[in-house]
Amino acid sequence: MELKNIMAISASALRAQSLRMRVIAENLANSDSIAAKPGAEPYRRKVVNFEPTDIGGAGQGVSISSVGQDQSAFKRALRPGAPSADANGYIDLPNVNTAMEMVDMQSAQRSYEANLSAIQASKNLTMRTIDLLK
Amino acid sequence: MSIGALDAINAYGRLVRPTSLSPSNEVTPGSETSNFGNILTGVISNTTDSLKAAENATARQISGKGDLIDVTTAMTAAEMAMDTVVAVRDRVISAYSDIIRMQI
Repeated sequence: MELKNIMAISASALRAQSLRMRVIAENLANSDSIAAKPGAEPYRRKVVNFEPTDIGGAGQGVSISSVGQDQSAFKRALRPGAPSADANGYIDLPNVNTAMEMVDMQSAQRSYEANLSAIQASKNLTMRTIDLLK
Repeated sequence: MSIGALDAINAYGRLVRPTSLSPSNEVTPGSETSNFGNILTGVISNTTDSLKAAENATARQISGKGDLIDVTTAMTAAEMAMDTVVAVRDRVISAYSDIIRMQI
């Protein structure tokens, strides 16, 4: 039955978007995590990579192939008293941009809602087909 | 869901043929296609499987080990299977009632 396949595909997208939300939450939570000693790296922003995945002959769903790290440069700040400050008093701050995380979060939320709507729509169609019998 | 709405309609189609009043169409009680009980038993056992899956998913969710998405999809599949069975049952029962009320 198609409804089951549609639900499996949309459910895979729901799971992928949940995981994406988790990674965004990690980024936001660690946006101030700095290194404990000089030379060590502060928190590096994580990014998710989606990939199409076959769902047991029921079509292609989506899954997260890997959680990678953002390779962009860390922000620099002058904090002479910090434990990880170098000889000039500078420290590395995480390369997390809160505004960018917010945009990502909106995107994840909208995608989740879209997939919920897909489940709802296919369920309604099946319901109306069953109603033909009544 | 192992039973589909179209399968249900087909099953109903197979079912109503032996109960029609055509004299050439012999009703053979006990054969696989004509026995309402057999059809209903098969459909209901399939539905029971979906309901059990939904119940297991819910139990796992309540004990904190489950996945909310699994629960939702399992419940939706079970609900659809149940609705299909109920719709087919009502339709078949109403066909029988029509025959019972028939003036001879």
